[in-house]
Amino acid sequence: MRRLLPAVLATLLLSATPHGHAQLEAGATPAPPQGDPGRGRLVFAPCRTCHFTQAEAGHGNGPNLHRIFGKVAGKQPGFDYYSEPLQAAQFVWTPALLYAWLENPMAATPGTSMMSAGVPDPAQRADLIAYLQQVSVRTAADSASP
Amino acid sequence: MTDQTTPPGLRRRDLLAGFGAVASAGLAAGAAALPAAAVTSWDMSADVLVAGSGAAGASAAIEARRAGADVLLIESLPRFGGSSAISAGVVYAGGGTALQRALGVEDTVEAMFSFISGAGTRHPPLEKIRLYCEQSSAHFDWLVAQGVPYREQLATTMTVPMAGESLYFSGCELAWPARELAQPAPRGHVPVATGMTGGRVLMAALLAQVAALGVTMQAQVAGERLVVGDDGRVLGMQVSVAGERKTIRARRGIVLASGGFIHNREMVRNYAPELYDCPVPWAGAGDQGMGINMGIAAGAAALRMHQGFAIVPLYPPEAVLSGIVVNAFGQRFVAEDTYYGVLGDAIAYHQQGRAWLITDRGSELPALQDDFLRVAQGNTVSDLARQLGFPKGALQDNVAYYNRHAANSEDPLFHKRPAFLRPLQGPPYSAWDLSLAKSFVPAHTFGGLHTGLDGEVFSSFGEVIPGLYAAGRTSAGLPGAPYIASGLSVGDATFFGRRAGRAAAGGAAA
Repeated sequence: MRRLLPAVLATLLLSATPHGHAQLEAGATPAPPQGDPGRGRLVFAPCRTCHFTQAEAGHGNGPNLHRIFGKVAGKQPGFDYYSEPLQAAQFVWTPALLYAWLENPMAATPGTSMMSAGVPDPAQRADLIAYLQQVSVRTAADSASP
Repeated sequence: MTDQTTPPGLRRRDLLAGFGAVASAGLAAGAAALPAAAVTSWDMSADVLVAGSGAAGASAAIEARRAGADVLLIESLPRFGGSSAISAGVVYAGGGTALQRALGVEDTVEAMFSFISGAGTRHPPLEKIRLYCEQSSAHFDWLVAQGVPYREQLATTMTVPMAGESLYFSGCELAWPARELAQPAPRGHVPVATGMTGGRVLMAALLAQVAALGVTMQAQVAGERLVVGDDGRVLGMQVSVAGERKTIRARRGIVLASGGFIHNREMVRNYAPELYDCPVPWAGAGDQGMGINMGIAAGAAALRMHQGFAIVPLYPPEAVLSGIVVNAFGQRFVAEDTYYGVLGDAIAYHQQGRAWLITDRGSELPALQDDFLRVAQGNTVSDLARQLGFPKGALQDNVAYYNRHAANSEDPLFHKRPAFLRPLQGPPYSAWDLSLAKSFVPAHTFGGLHTGLDGEVFSSFGEVIPGLYAAGRTSAGLPGAPYIASGLSVGDATFFGRRAGRAAAGGAAA
């Protein structure tokens, strides 16, 4: 049973360059569908058993996700459990790329240590990205009134 | 990173290309056991086949190999370790373990037995609990001998220690009514780790033993059906390897250690509907119920399939516990300072999955938390009651009753500990939605195959199915609903996994 590539993924494939360099530039890939961060809170909830989003929480079974967008994949200091493909990765996490990857991480990166079936539903995945964009840049200084 | 001399690493294109190249690992269609007569040849063979590489499977493989068996360990996912590897790795142990003694902690087998048998599910498996408690100290020694690291340091936290301490009160021992059942003692034994990664440490040690002992380990081999002989004996397993069907002969026995079924949404809805709305299945992707279903298809009985945990993580910070938790009638129904698994159980199984935390200024949840939503705020309790639509006067009366006794450090209803008892006073008052469907509530299943003390699987008529064993969450073991302490699940998985491995290795070759 092969999963059909969604349109956005096909677009990403076409826009990919043969070398790593250009891929480090942000903004080269189309944005994922606009999601709802409020709904994304619960879509992201299962990820929280392994990933923390606040910097001071450090790494869990998965790497910390504070300010994850814009970081080169698989290179965070203090996290010694990246799989080989991610250790060798030469791309930067963008919302679009994480959106695409989370459809089926184990298929996208055979060998990844993240034993998750991902979030196959596109709308839910967009909600997750919208939430993570918000929460991954949140700091204690933002803890104003509700 | 962009230097030309850098060895070619994974690039975006490769990452995305992976989607097309790898066939989706769809669930195998459920099927009845395969008659041996339908198997013309075996693709692989071993004395003992262990299906699943979490704490139960690894423990079974270690002991089966040490008993002299040729052992094959298969794992459906690409990585070994199962859900245990992403757990906190706590093992519930007591009765005077080496670590307890080193830290001057007094405990007895009897106290441990009274707690486990009395504080959890009605009619628990008493023989298993008795054996587990009697041999708990020796079992802890075994874990140490496998290389699992522990530190002689006691934590005072109510949650899994984050700074490398190895012993803590991991359950509801100190809360009412458990503290009246048994002398409380800290029994949560945690491998030295930071940030909830004890399971990774535990599994690294166990899997290193598995490899060193010469167990054959194969990943991405998924069990589909048991192969059963005319006499009902389980002879082998049909598996899927990269989309191809293969057969494995198990000369002495098979240990099903394939986890529970929290990631199988259909099974959760059918078997454990109370857990269905929990947004966080806490398990690796392999917990699909395949071991349980293979066993059922071969005639096994499955027990307590509706039971599991729903963790409602109110604490830390512990100051929150000075608030009260109420149901849709504005009534308290549980000691707020109990283990968060007991609180979650009370909500999931006894309040239709709905509850609210009521706080005053001094017991508010932290500003930066995404576990629970604040759904009402006001200057009086009446403001909250009105906003929440509670029955007229109910919340106000219950808060007044609570406050009157809390002022005297008393809680006639649920005997919350004095440390958390004080009247709710001082606006703003807030109500936080603890409803399972809207909150960060991790869930896991505890129902599984009916097994005996050696992991032998019983049929629905109570007879042993020859050649078949199960352990961990594929079996119905010590953990139940309510889940009364962290460490009972991994503790049960390692302890009875070992016994199942030994028994399978001793099984007569058929």
